[in-house]
Amino acid sequence: MKPVQRGYYTREELEELGVFPPREELEKKRLCVIECVEEIPCNPCAAVCRSGAIIKEGLCKPPVVDWKACIGCTMCVAACPGMAIFMQWIEDGDGYVTMPYELLPEPKIGDRVQLLNRKGEAVGEGMIVNPTYQARGDAYPRWVVTVKMDDPDLSYEVRAFKILE
Amino acid sequence: MIAIEDWRIYEHPILKFDRGKEVTIYLDGKPLKAYKNETVAAALYANGIREFSKSIKYRRPRGFFCAIGRCSACMMEVDGVPNVRTCVTLVRDGMRIKRQRTIADWAAPFLGMMKLPPLRYMKLFTRPGFIYEPAMKIMRKFTGLGSYPEKVPEVAPSGGYQGELSTEFLIVGGGPAGMSAAVEAGQQGVDTLIIDDKEKLGGQLLKQTHMFFSDVKYAAGKRGFKLGEELVEKISKLDNVKVMTQTSAVGYYPSENTMLLKGPNDTTLKVKAKKYLISTGAYERSLVFENNDLPGVYGAGGVQTLLNVYGVKPGNRGILLGTGNVALIVSYHLLQAGIEVAGVFAPSFRRVRGYFVHAAKIKRHGVPIVTRHTIVKALGKNRVEGAIVTKLADYGKPIPGTERRVDCDFICVGVGLNPAYDLVQLFNPKMVYVGALGGMVPIRDRTYRFAENAYIAGDCASIEEATTAVLEGKLVGLYASQALGHGDETVPEKIEEYTRALEEDRGSPFSTRLREALRDITVEKIEEALK
Ligand SMILES: Cc1cc2nc3c(=O)[nH]c(=O)nc-3n(C[C@H](O)[C@H](O)[C@H](O)COP(=O)(O)OP(=O)(O)OC[C@H]3O[C@@H](n4cnc5c(N)ncnc54)[C@H](O)[C@@H]3O)c2cc1C
Ligand code: SF4
Ligand code: SF4
Ligand code: FES
Repeated sequence: MKPVQRGYYTREELEELGVFPPREELEKKRLCVIECVEEIPCNPCAAVCRSGAIIKEGLCKPPVVDWKACIGCTMCVAACPGMAIFMQWIEDGDGYVTMPYELLPEPKIGDRVQLLNRKGEAVGEGMIVNPTYQARGDAYPRWVVTVKMDDPDLSYEVRAFKILE
Repeated sequence: MIAIEDWRIYEHPILKFDRGKEVTIYLDGKPLKAYKNETVAAALYANGIREFSKSIKYRRPRGFFCAIGRCSACMMEVDGVPNVRTCVTLVRDGMRIKRQRTIADWAAPFLGMMKLPPLRYMKLFTRPGFIYEPAMKIMRKFTGLGSYPEKVPEVAPSGGYQGELSTEFLIVGGGPAGMSAAVEAGQQGVDTLIIDDKEKLGGQLLKQTHMFFSDVKYAAGKRGFKLGEELVEKISKLDNVKVMTQTSAVGYYPSENTMLLKGPNDTTLKVKAKKYLISTGAYERSLVFENNDLPGVYGAGGVQTLLNVYGVKPGNRGILLGTGNVALIVSYHLLQAGIEVAGVFAPSFRRVRGYFVHAAKIKRHGVPIVTRHTIVKALGKNRVEGAIVTKLADYGKPIPGTERRVDCDFICVGVGLNPAYDLVQLFNPKMVYVGALGGMVPIRDRTYRFAENAYIAGDCASIEEATTAVLEGKLVGLYASQALGHGDETVPEKIEEYTRALEEDRGSPFSTRLREALRDITVEKIEEALK
């Protein structure tokens, strides 16, 4: 089955597409990972990035990230209508993933979460470290939530979470 | 008051519901809690009522399907007036609602017999003539069709007004296309009237809580309903643009160049305009399967309306049919309202038909996306209790033995939209069937004219998206201004800009067939094509 048929790409497929920054870079700073590989007419990511780190060669061309320019501000995570942009980094042996979040309950620092991969499978537990509410001229903004996990390798897999009661 | 069930959503991650003050309505004499801003259908749903009437012949239960006043599945008797579409009728304190055709259930088997050749119901009691009237009286009783209405739709003191009006530009349909045209034409000084049959302008935008794609210059990154509010705001600032809501266009008479409008309180109005824009949007398609008329089988857009406009849950666990963007987006809206999605089933083979990012968004929350599958049957007696789905072979035929049951209490049909061309046809255009554009559409020229005095834009011109509807609307607003002798010197520049933007928007591989189809049905000058 092809990714477009099953609704997800595997990590290996995304690696081949060059979606992830090099591991050394992820150990240095938080970087954006864009999982938007189809040609669709869309450009808020490129428009919102003030450091010019997201390049779109035309309205319908998939975005490409210049990781050297990315300052990890998370604006693109908040703005992407496809909810296809995430941030990833590795610090002191822990993995971190920043994700857009538009569900209930409201996220709070310290919340335990069930980590979900691209298929929606539970792959472990983590903790919310930094939930922010992004506005940007939209009266109904969305949450941008950073989740910490013990296994840094998991940060390549986790793309959603469920807050545990 | 008997509070039976409450299906309202009180906490939502994106929306706050303004329901207005509490009122009481009566269903077959039983009091129910409702809120001022709810439609009758939404209020009944919120109280757990799924059956609105029974079908005439086979006594099959009926609920709602489209929730936008387009399918007539939801008709009930309201304050003595029969056949009121409850999905577009707001509640009122003390309103009395009656289910239609619910009396003679015992008669069902007899009615079934009426399809037997010797008893063909359309031929019964029609001859000799004098039998007809008394026989009908008895038949109505026994079929549960009820007696003739207690009263005809009331002509309110202010109502029944029959007036005439003239304007330069009449826009029928206040979705993104119509509103954008109104803004552009209004800014060019055109005397404009925009009408919509709903209580608010906005069209499909009202129910779209997700952020839009496309170019940030036009709509992208904004949530649909915010975009709608912005357009309403712009229109309200233009003195030369008049708005009439709860007003439907019900006819057009070319020989008199008159559009007939029907407003609230049964008012009728004849409007003569120099130019018309038909931007009436689209109808939802249905799908053929056993029991597809059970309450609990809805159009995906209908579910979206119930969820996002009225904040009422359609059920606890649903399935989606179709994998276009609409089906994928509605699944996501269901998740946001805390409703379980048991699966998105689609007959498509090679891929999900919508954007990959929309599919990924629901997949990562565990929603199964099942391609090469279709539904064979909805289960349940008076409401949906499950569905039987089956796998399809390469040539689209169900594979025997692959049927399985999926538990769910509602089924959303999201298999696409058809352009709403009813009014368009009345201008005597040249209509063609174009699959890539969604169905029957008129031949048009480069300025979107399909008749000498009428333009088309948005979903009723070709099923696309809000952004293309906005751009087409803007272009029509400008072309109409020019044709009416109003446009200032900025108009040609703007036309060029929006035309380019439209081309760019349609530049993805998703739109290849659409681009070709549009090229095929666009002519240089409409007058020549109509000869
Ligand atoms: C579930 C769903 C999800 C969508 N998601 C997206 C998306 O993510 N991004 C995107 O860009 N687009 C999306 N769209 C598409 C977009 O909403 C439509 O393409 C757009 O709304 C079409 O605009 P319109 O003005 O042509 O029609 P509409 O918005 O349908 O407006 C037509 C209006 O005309 C009124 N009307 C009809 N007949 C009459 C009459 N006789 N008299 C008076 N009034 C009348 C109707 O009540 C309605 O208010 C989605 C659509 C649906 C249904
Ligand atoms: S995180 Fe900030 S700097 Fe980096 S790509 Fe996104 S918007 Fe640009
Ligand atoms: S905003 Fe999101 S969906 Fe749109 S092009 Fe950028 S990454 Fe893709
Ligand atoms: S007309 Fe009311 S549900 Fe379709």
